[in-house]
Amino acid sequence: MINGSNADDGTHSRREFIALGGAAGVTGLAGCSAEPVDDTNGEGSGNGDENGVVGDGDDDRVLTVGTFGSFVDAPSISPGEWLKDEFESRYDAELQYATPDNELNYYVERAASGAQMDADLYVGVNTEDLVQIDEAYDGDLFVSDLEVDGDEEIRDGLRFDPFGRTVPYDTGYVSLVYDSTETEAPETFEGLLEEEHRGDLIAQNPGSSTTGLRFVLHTVHRFGDEGEYDYLDFWADLQENDVRVTDAWDAAYTSWSEGEAPMVVSYSTDQVFASQDGADLDQHQIRFLNDEAYATPSGMALFEDAENPELARQFMSFMLEPDVQGEIVERNVSFPATETAELPADYDELAHEPDVPVTFDYDELQGSMEGWVSEWERQLAGN
Amino acid sequence: MSDDPVDDDGTPDNTSGDTRDDDPEASAASGQRRTARVRDRLERRVLAALALGTLGVLLVVFYYPVATVLVESVVVDGVVTLGVFVELLRDPFYFGDLARVFAGENPLTVARDFLGPDRRIGIIGFTAYQAALSTLVSVALGVPLAYLLARFEFRGRRTLRSLTILPFVLPSIMVAVGFVATFGRTGTLNSVLGALGLPPVELMFTLEAILIAHAFYNAPLVARVTTAAWESVDASAIETARSLGAGPLRAFYDVVAPQVYPAVLMGAALTFVFTFGTFPIVLALGGFQLATVEVFIYRLVRDLNYAEAAALAVVELVISLAVLFAYLRYEAKHTVQSGGVRPLPRKPLVPPVNTVREWLPRAGLGVYAVVASFVFIAPIASMILASVTGGDGALTLEHYRFLLDRQETGAAFQVRPWPAIRNSLVFAAASALVALPMGVVIAVVTTREYLGRKLVGTLAMAPFAVSGILVGLGLLRGLVFGVEIGGWRIAIAGSAAIVAAHAVSGYPFVVRTVAPGLESLDRSLIESARALGASRSRVVRDIELPLVWPGVVAGAAFAVAISMGEFTSTIVLATGADAYTMPIAIERFIGRRLGPATAMGVVLLVVTAISFVVIERLGGDYSGL
Repeated sequence: MINGSNADDGTHSRREFIALGGAAGVTGLAGCSAEPVDDTNGEGSGNGDENGVVGDGDDDRVLTVGTFGSFVDAPSISPGEWLKDEFESRYDAELQYATPDNELNYYVERAASGAQMDADLYVGVNTEDLVQIDEAYDGDLFVSDLEVDGDEEIRDGLRFDPFGRTVPYDTGYVSLVYDSTETEAPETFEGLLEEEHRGDLIAQNPGSSTTGLRFVLHTVHRFGDEGEYDYLDFWADLQENDVRVTDAWDAAYTSWSEGEAPMVVSYSTDQVFASQDGADLDQHQIRFLNDEAYATPSGMALFEDAENPELARQFMSFMLEPDVQGEIVERNVSFPATETAELPADYDELAHEPDVPVTFDYDELQGSMEGWVSEWERQLAGN
Repeated sequence: MSDDPVDDDGTPDNTSGDTRDDDPEASAASGQRRTARVRDRLERRVLAALALGTLGVLLVVFYYPVATVLVESVVVDGVVTLGVFVELLRDPFYFGDLARVFAGENPLTVARDFLGPDRRIGIIGFTAYQAALSTLVSVALGVPLAYLLARFEFRGRRTLRSLTILPFVLPSIMVAVGFVATFGRTGTLNSVLGALGLPPVELMFTLEAILIAHAFYNAPLVARVTTAAWESVDASAIETARSLGAGPLRAFYDVVAPQVYPAVLMGAALTFVFTFGTFPIVLALGGFQLATVEVFIYRLVRDLNYAEAAALAVVELVISLAVLFAYLRYEAKHTVQSGGVRPLPRKPLVPPVNTVREWLPRAGLGVYAVVASFVFIAPIASMILASVTGGDGALTLEHYRFLLDRQETGAAFQVRPWPAIRNSLVFAAASALVALPMGVVIAVVTTREYLGRKLVGTLAMAPFAVSGILVGLGLLRGLVFGVEIGGWRIAIAGSAAIVAAHAVSGYPFVVRTVAPGLESLDRSLIESARALGASRSRVVRDIELPLVWPGVVAGAAFAVAISMGEFTSTIVLATGADAYTMPIAIERFIGRRLGPATAMGVVLLVVTAISFVVIERLGGDYSGL
């Protein structure tokens, strides 16, 4: 057993450490593992991986789901626990989560290092991820042309991978959230440049935040990346008008909550949380600039070397079932991926959808996204 | 610690009795000497073994993992190239006008332009600029605190001294929460200014906010090392100076200052290195317009663009190591030999006599206290307040109830508060136990006289200077995914690896707090003791250790604090929710509202505070420096 049994044991005497002479000497300490490299049939895994997954004897019915931390662990949004219980009881299987901090990049690294994947599928893949991975990694991480039962119910326009590697399970929109007791947000992008909104907007760095990236992509969608007035010109004007750009959504949202500025780039589901908290909804208004919002579908993808591909497909179908969709939407605070989702009656009132969802598809982002972001960086951080 | 063979002298052989072993009249004494010699040899062996062990740990959990990433800057698609560096050095975005020099322009032309209005300093120039300013502010806020702690006696002094470690363990998101609440538009500072009829200040999203936040983290560091140095100033040296006719100011300049300077400079050098390499606080408080090198390393790694990320990290590393190297050179030249350990008597806060000379420094400290209460206390108080404030602004305990609830009902794959607290404490204690011998050995090795020792000393500081993001990536590749050796894939993760990684992050502190003491040791003391027949270990126990003990304890405190606050390596090496620590719990509890995360942050604060107060109470009067 690699690490399960010793994981709690942090009390090794210093002598044990001092005795280490090199890599070989370390083997045998808690948390060490050695497995044959040419484990081609993938059977040799009584081994766990680094994220708490330890297989037991009956591997057939054990499904390992790689995902991002907040899917299972955040106080406000984590459908993970419900999904695990429900899936296990419906399918007589065991579901394990792996939530590496580097998220999807962790698996790219794993594949590139030649280590086993130790997960069957990943939940939480988006278009930008796929573009990035395809650029950096030559091999095939995911199974292409993936089809699962029930995927015919997926709403139009949500499928975002031309190679069919992902099955969308929910979607959301990046929009402005503003405090209407402080200001009335403008109707259009150009309105953000007006003097009355000087210093009013907090956005995020597209290099480190997904909301930040989507908002920049939205400006590219709106203004283009060439011509007389492109997205960089818009951002130059926005900078003139004192836009604030933080690294992560949480820092931005904190500053916004503290009244540092009345508008923040966030999600169109903001009021769902606000009403849960008993906050004043006037301070949590949603604005879709030009009636648009950038759509952010999230998908599931099956790893090329999954040990239980069948079970993984069953899980994906399970995720698309009408009642499960309803739960995901409620617990993940998002919008359903299927036409048949059973939604809570009052859901529409608080979760807002734009008239015009905009998004770049894979082909549009490929070869361009990195340049857009780095041009943006160079403009905003130039010293 | 007493069995640590701290062998300080670098001369090959100084055992005075060696040449007379065969003197028949002294056979008894000679027998004793023989035992002493055997013991000496044994001690040398132990020292060598410890040094090898230290090197082993460093190789496995630091140098090798980091090398797997850094090598990508010179090996692109299997071809060795300097192309990445050449491109980087010629990019004005990073190097400003200097890039033109690298690109082959006449340095004089570039210099003339640089003096003009359109100068570009580039990201690297800006990073160095803000680090330099942060260092100045940290020193300005740290030295008065050291003065207060080292020279005055008042109720709660020792507790205050132990609490100065707290900023170290706070995750940046907690500090950001505290800072917005303190220095924001509607923050505490502006309320106070408003009440005094003064105009509000806009600090958020400015360079000033970053500098203050950096001082929040680093001024306590400056204060701690300076206090330690100040307290080890020997009172008799001052008395001698005074008796020779020096006035108090003169005695200060001639006796105290030379011993305190190196510590202040050390704090400054470390502050520069830390602020040169941090980024979350910069973006949270300053915004992207003030982005530093590390921000771009992070983005490049996220984009899987390792070549450029590694190259940038190498540039960052070289600059940081150069600063450390310069400091070590200074330290070696400016150490003052100290021979005693009778500290200066502390003064009461209320002056015994009403004279200007007594009141002036105290009035200065009063002004300092006002500033410090905004920089250090208000943000922490705001954090605590945030942890008991609900979404509707009313006071509530719901965030703490979340913690209890998670503890009770949390699933096995979720982070639960108590295991996180327990792991943090266990890892901190274990990693301090590992970091201490590592640090002491490196301190001994680098204070001996040989060519290139400052280079070795600098390299031993590398864990401070390497981009944390790349260390994390290296650990993932080098340890977690494992290495193929003879058809087997050897992987290391879990508690042992976490402890080792924490020890590697913390041990440079031990080196830096112990080495100056060793360096300034009066060699004649040791030689006389040996000449009088004291064994080597006796010298260690009775002379060397007491003299460097404050440094050892100070280093241990830092090692514990580093471990308590460490995030990057822990999350990479943790084998699952059962190896998570408090900082990871905080990160995982960040939701749309920061309440639960701040509640966990307060738990981290309280646990750390109690630990340090206890450590100090147990450590006796020498400890907790």
